[in-house]
Amino acid sequence: MTKQAFLDEVAARNPNQPEFLQAVKEVVECVWETYEENPIFQDANILGRLVEPERVITFRVPWVGDDDEIMVNRGYRVEFNSAIGPYKGGLRFHPSVNLSILKFLGFEQIFKNALTTLPMGGGKGGSDFDAKGKSDGEIMRFCQSFMTELQRHIGNRTDIPAGDIGVGAREIGYLFGQYKRIRNEFTGILTGKGLNWGGSLIRPEATGFGVVYFTNEMLKAAGESLEGKKVAISGFGNVAWGAATKVNDLGGKVVTLSGPDGYIYDPDGIREEKINYMLMLRATCNDIIEPYVREFPEAKFFAKKRPWEQKVDIALPCATQNELGKEDAENLVKNDCKCIVEGANMPLTPEAMKIIQDAKILYAPGKAANAGGVATSGLEMSQNYAGQSWEREKVDGELRKIMIRIHEQCELHGRIDDDYVDYVRGANIAGFMKVARAMVEQGVV
Amino acid sequence: MNGVQTGKSDFLRSVRCKNPGQKEFIQAVSEVIGSVWEIYLENSVFRDADILHRLVEPERIIIFRVPWKDDQGRPKINRGFRVQFSSVLGPYKGGLRFRAGVDLSILKFLGFEQIFKNALTTLPLGAGKGGSDFDPKGRSDGEVMRFCQSFMTELQRHIGIRTDIPAGDIGVGAREIGYLYGQYKRLKNQFTGTITGKSLNWGGSLMRPEATGYGVVYFTEEIMKTCCISIEGKTVLVSGSGNVAQHTVKKINELGGKVVTMSDSSGYIYDPDGIRGEKWDFIMDLKNVRRGRIYEYAEAFGCRYVEGKGPWDIPCDVAIPCATQNEIHARHARP
Repeated sequence: MTKQAFLDEVAARNPNQPEFLQAVKEVVECVWETYEENPIFQDANILGRLVEPERVITFRVPWVGDDDEIMVNRGYRVEFNSAIGPYKGGLRFHPSVNLSILKFLGFEQIFKNALTTLPMGGGKGGSDFDAKGKSDGEIMRFCQSFMTELQRHIGNRTDIPAGDIGVGAREIGYLFGQYKRIRNEFTGILTGKGLNWGGSLIRPEATGFGVVYFTNEMLKAAGESLEGKKVAISGFGNVAWGAATKVNDLGGKVVTLSGPDGYIYDPDGIREEKINYMLMLRATCNDIIEPYVREFPEAKFFAKKRPWEQKVDIALPCATQNELGKEDAENLVKNDCKCIVEGANMPLTPEAMKIIQDAKILYAPGKAANAGGVATSGLEMSQNYAGQSWEREKVDGELRKIMIRIHEQCELHGRIDDDYVDYVRGANIAGFMKVARAMVEQGVV
Repeated sequence: MNGVQTGKSDFLRSVRCKNPGQKEFIQAVSEVIGSVWEIYLENSVFRDADILHRLVEPERIIIFRVPWKDDQGRPKINRGFRVQFSSVLGPYKGGLRFRAGVDLSILKFLGFEQIFKNALTTLPLGAGKGGSDFDPKGRSDGEVMRFCQSFMTELQRHIGIRTDIPAGDIGVGAREIGYLYGQYKRLKNQFTGTITGKSLNWGGSLMRPEATGYGVVYFTEEIMKTCCISIEGKTVLVSGSGNVAQHTVKKINELGGKVVTMSDSSGYIYDPDGIRGEKWDFIMDLKNVRRGRIYEYAEAFGCRYVEGKGPWDIPCDVAIPCATQNEIHARHARP
């Protein structure tokens, strides 16, 4: 079968699922060559089986609003692949949620989880529930109704959901409470739990820490180090916070942070009390970065601009998708930036990515570099299985080892020549190979 | 979201919006809403409980991967479904359909209709429907068995004697029920009636194969009685040649009517002398044992075979569509 024939067949089987088809196309484009080189995969029809979720559950979620109005939402759990571990992936509560989006996210999760080197399969779930304007009581009743059905399908060795958009600490709490009430069991069936009841230390910082560990490995592989480097970071959420902290730990200098209102440039470096101030700023929920320059006058604020125009050695986009476009990429190339690592999901536009890759600047995609978040969920699972609560140093040390292993795999499958590693290709192939081999070994199931 | 303020068209719009691409399901909902909307408005207790919004949303849908190997040893993938639509009157109950083209829209349409059909029986039956895009046509016995075993390996988790009791439908006859039941029993180590349509020797009921067809004709008889006529001497068009069609034809023959057509997914045969006696036996053997095509009837008895069409252009007194959804179109119905 040709690549196009395969993609056509997937499209015919999944009408009205543009997001899912897009995700499949991207992965297939990357791994097709490897697939053809391995007849053992073709004989086992690995790709045909991989694009079909093992199980999808859709269910009615009835609940009662504060004014006694009866509401109906639709709940989902896509249990995509369990070849290398129990299903694992977040729950998203947002009105845009539909099967196509959850299949897209679940499909990507398979490879991302495989890359962590931990035993986690791929899944995703959620609901079209809109938390905006809902009271705490309404959110609790919705979560309870949602879990009343979901509990039947998950389990600490079967399927372990986590949070995602619209599902934070509060929702995880309500969901966990209802699971425990119905099953009468205290087990780690969700990750992202509160620290007092089975959560893991470092979970909030983990993604940012992981991004920096990964960056450090990339630099090492190119004969460099983070020591003394100037680093631009965008965003000032969890990922940016974790990244800034860890850059300082490893001897680099963070000079920018950004918000929706613009960015700040601090030539002295953003460290210690300045990082604490960033947390305070976030806690105000105003979602603006400008007040930073009033507190620390040595810094400068650039309204409605992005930090990528500054001359830096390393750029870590940690804010949101498509935040780094063509012009930004050209600026970074011009300013001799050495390394760009995605903390956010898909922060580079396709044009920007092409410019960066053509210039042969070190570049790592989010699916590898920001896998520290899900990896630490895996560490939360390990602690729950063992009935333990690890200290900070232990979690941080394990996370670091995981990021080093992820980097090793990307390098193994992505090294083009002595001077260049294609991390996108490396990440896609490494994840795919691991899952495909497990599927071959486990037979046609 | 609330059914109280929204009118009928708003309600249908919200159903369309929530179920894009599900043509058959939306058609079924529109039909039922068209009939019940007035009653819904008259009963504020239904509106206050937002009954219609809850009714159009299946309680649970399970979609699953069904991997199996064909006779050449190639791994194949199909998609399995179980729509557990409503359990308000009893455990979920409804057939399994194995046919190319089976998708969520078709199964939600059938599952939705099943709610009201099962309610009408006066028995404690909820509603469901399921199946797969697997087509047993042209598959060897061994392939069908391996597919059924793989299908049940997942389905067993979701069904049960007091939970959900599937049955046969298109592509799922006595043979498939047997394979499905055998695998269920092997996995659960329990001999319980988790599927209906079983063989007589192991839990099936007498008359099950005949029941739908006979029921259709009994009902037809009742309709005709209200107009003071009977089936005796009438010319009847039947479509399909499966279980329902076969026994419809048999009962019409018993009551003195004359069936002149039967069909399958390739075309129909027209036999003006009536499909009866040894000709009916031929159909039974052709479809249930040899698994052949309907044109073979035309070859055996020298009557007309029309490919690619349904029989609805033939003049008749009674038409009984026993094949599949949307088989009679407006142009067939017009005088």
